[in-house]
Amino acid sequence: MLRWKKKRICRFCEAGDVYIDFRDEKRLVRFLTEQGKIVPRRTSGNCAQHQRQLAKAIKRARHLALIPFVSDIPR
Amino acid sequence: MEKLYCTIYIVDISQNPEEEEAVTSRIQQLIEDHGGIIQRINRWGKKRLAYPIQKKTHGYYVEIEFTAKSVLNIPAILEQEYRVNDRVLRYLTYVVDKKELIQRAKKAGKKAEKEAPAAEKKETPAAPEAPAAEAPAAEPEAPQVTEPAEGENPPVAETEAPVTEEAQEAAQENEEKKEEK
Repeated sequence: MLRWKKKRICRFCEAGDVYIDFRDEKRLVRFLTEQGKIVPRRTSGNCAQHQRQLAKAIKRARHLALIPFVSDIPR
Repeated sequence: MEKLYCTIYIVDISQNPEEEEAVTSRIQQLIEDHGGIIQRINRWGKKRLAYPIQKKTHGYYVEIEFTAKSVLNIPAILEQEYRVNDRVLRYLTYVVDKKELIQRAKKAGKKAEKEAPAAEKKETPAAPEAPAAEAPAAEPEAPQVTEPAEGENPPVAETEAPVTEEAQEAAQENEEKKEEK
């Protein structure tokens, strides 16, 4: 059974980033679903180290109201 | 042990726009009184909050970096102040990681490189085109314009190493996936 589209390259490794900053929310938003959930590793293709860093960055950004905790699509 | 801390807080300026300065000077004073040394104050300015906090939609972000001995426990002192001060909507204090500093240095390096080659390239196209010996030397420089992410000689070695590791990891993960199936 084919699951989701496979992208097996970690974008942060590609860019050679050592640390994911929670301050640039534009970058973090790409790793959130429409609802504001963190995209799992199997979808984003991040490596374990960067996914951990990313999760931390997203949580810090959420706390500082840079990113929403939940963003519901108005119906 | 001496540590580099970073503290960010959101001030409510809906009542009084000068509130931010009062809070900042208070925090600054607290840090200095308890033996911290302020390295950098960065005002992000008024920003829209991603979600309302205490029914406020906008806030003023201030970031302060300071060094202090961890024994002094300044973050705890700051937290007390933040909790008492009802003008502060949110706060975050953390110890700055080594990796963050490396990343910042990289970013600064990139910026410097971006500006530097831009000035150089203006000169090079006007310079000799005919000599065949110089042509190969000029070519490797050219692609750097399109991808400023790659550094010059020393950073190349750094960037190459993780790529190979990454490839290995990716291969391992693929194998694991196959096994799962």
